Amino acid sequence: MSLTHDDWTAALEDGDLLGVRCGDCGATYGTPFAVCNDCGGRNLETTELPEEGEVYSETTVQVPPTSFEGPYQVGTVQLDGARVTARLEGDVEIGDHVVFDGAIDESGEIAPVFRVE
Amino acid sequence: MTRASVVGADMTTFGVHESTLSELFAEAALGAYDDAGVEPDEIDALYFGNAMGGQTENDTHLAPAVASQIGLAGVPCQRYEDACATSANAFKNAVEAVEAGIHDTVLVGGVERCTPETGLGTGEMTRIFASASDRHYEQPTGLTFPGVFALLTKRHMHEHGTTEEQLAHVAVKNHKNGTRNPNAHFGKETTVEEVLDSPIVADPFHLMDCCPFSDGASAVIVTNDDRADSFDKPVDVSGVGHATDVVPLSAKPVPHATQAARDAAAQAYEQAGTSADEMAFAEVHDCFTGAEVMASEAIGFFEDGEGGPAAAEGRTEMDGDRPINPSGGLKAKGHPIGATGTAQIVELTEQLRGDADERQIDSAEKAVAHNLGGDAATTVVSVMEVRG
Repeated sequence: MSLTHDDWTAALEDGDLLGVRCGDCGATYGTPFAVCNDCGGRNLETTELPEEGEVYSETTVQVPPTSFEGPYQVGTVQLDGARVTARLEGDVEIGDHVVFDGAIDESGEIAPVFRVE
Repeated sequence: MTRASVVGADMTTFGVHESTLSELFAEAALGAYDDAGVEPDEIDALYFGNAMGGQTENDTHLAPAVASQIGLAGVPCQRYEDACATSANAFKNAVEAVEAGIHDTVLVGGVERCTPETGLGTGEMTRIFASASDRHYEQPTGLTFPGVFALLTKRHMHEHGTTEEQLAHVAVKNHKNGTRNPNAHFGKETTVEEVLDSPIVADPFHLMDCCPFSDGASAVIVTNDDRADSFDKPVDVSGVGHATDVVPLSAKPVPHATQAARDAAAQAYEQAGTSADEMAFAEVHDCFTGAEVMASEAIGFFEDGEGGPAAAEGRTEMDGDRPINPSGGLKAKGHPIGATGTAQIVELTEQLRGDADERQIDSAEKAVAHNLGGDAATTVVSVMEVRG
């Protein structure tokens, strides 16, 4: 197994956003997988994701689950070939350029944050 | 080709129920027995769906418990959990079992309680629903289920120009249909203005774009092709497609395509030797208005990008050329998670028997049900038809 959730979390705590890249077909993902979903290969290498990207989709959550306080913006960010789901800062829209800006921890587990430039 | 037949069907009202999960399921199951004219000793197995009883009511190992309420203790009982596609998956496995000759006649159904009758408020239920999103890469962002479908829908709007007004038309139509369904959670019409003026839950969704938290149960009796004619009003199951898509959402190449629905629909139509054009109507999984628009394209009722305009033009109304959700859908009928899949089968059965009263779709011969789970990563599509 290449990248684990623990590795991904520890890196995020240190300010690094990790993903995996398939050594066989080149597909990249913003989260760990044991096997490549594109080609079935197991040769998934840990890779540092770009720290700048474009908002692929977004929404502002007005009715949050327990342990979160709304409203806040969540979205998916396109980073070259990979996407990550992240907290968004700066009232962004689809297509906006955003940069990686650390992480939040509101529920005991951390999530990446992207901010409008 | 007939894979199996539905020979009994019933559901509780969807809304607020004080009864226990077992009591609630029994109400639907006994109704299905009576509709089929069977006694418990004629049922060979239970295929049961409940998504969240462990989280909401500290109630698990439910299959034998509900079986014991309805005279089925002793038969093989299995419980399914696939988020909102829970009981459609139970139905798929039941159809396969009778088709394969493992069992002759089985009971399939589901139950859920989601209203504050469980003792849980909106924040807690929002957290429990969100457990069907990715535990490690989505939940820590605070993403909710309205949020998941908002992400899909907003990208659909971006790609195709779908508008909030078009989404609101889905709610208006389903509320109108719900007024004709005595089992519906909501029996009141609404307007585009009311939908757009309601508070925002997760943009683009207003409160009135969202299905309610409901309690309820549904059940059907499935038998094999050979036995079907010994029952009064069998309705044939000619195709059941089941597909999944990669999770989390960020890994889906085109999330708003809801690819699992496209794959499941293709399987179901192929098994049945039919196509979307032959369907008299569809029951689709409209947990949010945007979900109905995406489903209407994924099952082949409209070209990509045409689902929104079609809703606004009235094409999906009961008297339109492509009726969707004559039951009122999840939006108006309600959405007790584990009961929703087989409730769609109940609606198809009543319609194809010609027993749907005020909401009857004229001369319906074939119809399709689309039930999704999670971020649409599980989808089951079923085709049923009048027995030839």
